[in-house]
Amino acid sequence: MTKSNISRRTFIEGVGLTVANLLPGTTPFAFAASMEERTVAAAKAVGATDVSGMIWSPYLVPMQPVIAEFKKQTGIGVGAVQDISIFDAPQRAMAEALSRSPEFDFIHIDSNMIPSLASAGYLEPLDEYMKKADFKIEAIGDYATFMTYKGQTYGIPTDGNVHIQYVRKDLLENPDNKKKFADKHGKELKFPETWEDDLRIQETLMDPSKDLYGSGNLRNRANGPTWWYMIFYSAGGFTFDDDMNPTLDTPAGHYAVDIYLRDKKVAHPESAGWGTPQMIPRIAQGHVVSCQYWDGTAKLNENPEKSKTKGKWLYGLVPGSDFSGKRIHRSISSPLAALLINKYSPRKAQAAYLALWLGSGKNSVPIVSDPVNTFHDAWAKEHMIAPQVINAYTPAGIKALEANFQVVAPPTYLTGYLEFQDTLGKNLSEAYVGQLPAKDVLKKTQDEWSAIVRRIGRSKLKGELASYKAVMPKRDLPA
Amino acid sequence: MSVAVVSAASIPSQPSPRQLSRQRAIERFRWSILGPLIALLAFVLMPVLFLQLYFSFHQWTVYLGSWWDAEYVGLDLFWEVLTDPRFGWAMVRSLVFATGSTLGCFLVGFALAYLMHRPFRGQPFYYTIFILPMLTVPVVVAYTAEMLLYQSGPINDLISHIAGIEFKPMWLTNPDIALLTVMLLEIWNWVPFSFIILLAGLSAIPKEPIEAAEILGASKWRVFWEVQLPLLRPVIFLALVLRFLEAMAEFPKTWALLQGGPGTATETLPVYIFLTTWQYFQISKGAAMSYLVMLLMIVIVLFAIRLLRREKRSLDTMYAVAGQGPAG
Repeated sequence: MTKSNISRRTFIEGVGLTVANLLPGTTPFAFAASMEERTVAAAKAVGATDVSGMIWSPYLVPMQPVIAEFKKQTGIGVGAVQDISIFDAPQRAMAEALSRSPEFDFIHIDSNMIPSLASAGYLEPLDEYMKKADFKIEAIGDYATFMTYKGQTYGIPTDGNVHIQYVRKDLLENPDNKKKFADKHGKELKFPETWEDDLRIQETLMDPSKDLYGSGNLRNRANGPTWWYMIFYSAGGFTFDDDMNPTLDTPAGHYAVDIYLRDKKVAHPESAGWGTPQMIPRIAQGHVVSCQYWDGTAKLNENPEKSKTKGKWLYGLVPGSDFSGKRIHRSISSPLAALLINKYSPRKAQAAYLALWLGSGKNSVPIVSDPVNTFHDAWAKEHMIAPQVINAYTPAGIKALEANFQVVAPPTYLTGYLEFQDTLGKNLSEAYVGQLPAKDVLKKTQDEWSAIVRRIGRSKLKGELASYKAVMPKRDLPA
Repeated sequence: MSVAVVSAASIPSQPSPRQLSRQRAIERFRWSILGPLIALLAFVLMPVLFLQLYFSFHQWTVYLGSWWDAEYVGLDLFWEVLTDPRFGWAMVRSLVFATGSTLGCFLVGFALAYLMHRPFRGQPFYYTIFILPMLTVPVVVAYTAEMLLYQSGPINDLISHIAGIEFKPMWLTNPDIALLTVMLLEIWNWVPFSFIILLAGLSAIPKEPIEAAEILGASKWRVFWEVQLPLLRPVIFLALVLRFLEAMAEFPKTWALLQGGPGTATETLPVYIFLTTWQYFQISKGAAMSYLVMLLMIVIVLFAIRLLRREKRSLDTMYAVAGQGPAG
């Protein structure tokens, strides 16, 4: 007699599903054992077809084997695709929303666009589909809330894109550097815990004569706000009061601007105009002491074919701040790439189930661990224990991801996100290059944000504030 | 009884069937050309312009639902645009950019055209080389420039090496020179346009006035200044106006390279209109801005047409005095 392989959990699940199927009104899909099988069963019921979408090809390529498997099992595949960069997709998606176009069945886009696109009436809520397939977004921490708006789920994440802290291990552990740092600052040189620590490390260890600069943070107009938000939130700041008056021109805001601008002393002179195409190679080639950056860069750093710094990095929690009187750490995820479904699409059900299929923890493991196409980053609980994901990020990288996901925040998660973001980015950038006095950044931004609020509608935005707050992390420090 | 003598020439003669047929053919040909253009104007351009006009007078955002829910606001949006300092600065930047790049394109294009307007060995090769930049897609120009224009990038290294000095301007990140950088790229990209127009103009100048001036002992400089340049004036105006209008609308390089930054150093009108319409989704304000810019362009075009007419009249007079028509 052979020993049964059925675990207690599987047995209970099986009994539960059997009972569930006997109840009137339930779908027969509950018989399926796993989330993936339930998704397939639900998808089969809506009919086979090819769906079309808007997605950037570097994101699509690692998804293709997983899509091919879905096609094999359900007959639902991906046909025509519009290859648009994730940075240009919001404008294009909003144009689609304007014309109520059924052209795209799904769009792959920064999830911070959910409020704007849902307000424009473009998005299909996914809760019904998720219920039919008994699907859950099994993300780390409260990360699944990033997909929700006004109590409904509108997206399935494919790319976590959380910021983690990078510090050069070889520089940090160098005895000469340790002595130099101790002599200068009277304290031990170790992994930075606060923004001030990080600046001190960057300033002490940088050596421009060797093309080694302290910071690898971005300060260009498009990306700068992402970094500012981390500092601002960690200082206890929040963007609006309950009446939707902007609360940027506050002590926490000024603290964040000050830290943000001090980066100029430790960054490459050209950093004011640099985005990821310039900065990522510099990080991977070892021209940076420390930075906060998207987690995918860890995969790149640890890939010896693309990096000169394999094994030379320490990964960890982004710095925090004691400004509010208690230590708070805030990481950020922006853009968080997610699959959203077009409400006007005649194939929205098929597209929705495809999104669920791609967003299951198990199915997304090969997507986030692709060693060549590294755009998708880990976000699911299952990713944290999958050997190929751990291998891509290193165990220390995975620990850093887990820690930062627990304190991850969004930028302004409201209708009008792009406008809030660009206005802040413009003013921060002007201050960084000396076109605007630092003291005026927040006053000017606050005035401009007030005008945006008036235009979009104060009461409408007040109604969204709860969704924004729900996405904010619930803890100050990772567990 | 008197008989009036009427000359045969004064009697309107009936057109012959052949002439009638020819006139009808000309008429058909004219409408075959004009018809599609009028249809395009009526069915494509006019609806867009009317829609823009509707948005310019109605406050509408993408979050409002139907277009027809928009509130009529009269001239408020135009006033909002005209009192928006950011629009004013964008206008200034655009005018500086368009003027600088137009003059740059003209000067370099004219110099090249002057060198090339007389046949010489290997001319087709140089001609091909000179028009190559215009065949390069602006976005490709921007991304290539991004790779070349780092402070320690190949362009600065090359200039430092040739000049024997430390030449390290931050072309893309210094707000004082970022617009100039885009201007230089625009000049590189569009010099061939001015070159082609001016080369055609130079080649069309009749030889006789030049030969006459040379026989009368005029120096090369005087021939150029007093004969060639006046004859070329209409073509020069055309090249300047077309290039200026094109430069005012430049977007792909500015956006791909700097997105209006660093700070707002390269936030020109097209960039600001794009941001307003497609980043802020203020469709109505974007439409009002577009109308104001279009009005500015129409004024420039009308002014240019008037200048061109005046130039043509003065040329006609010159040719009439000289007793000859323009070549060709």
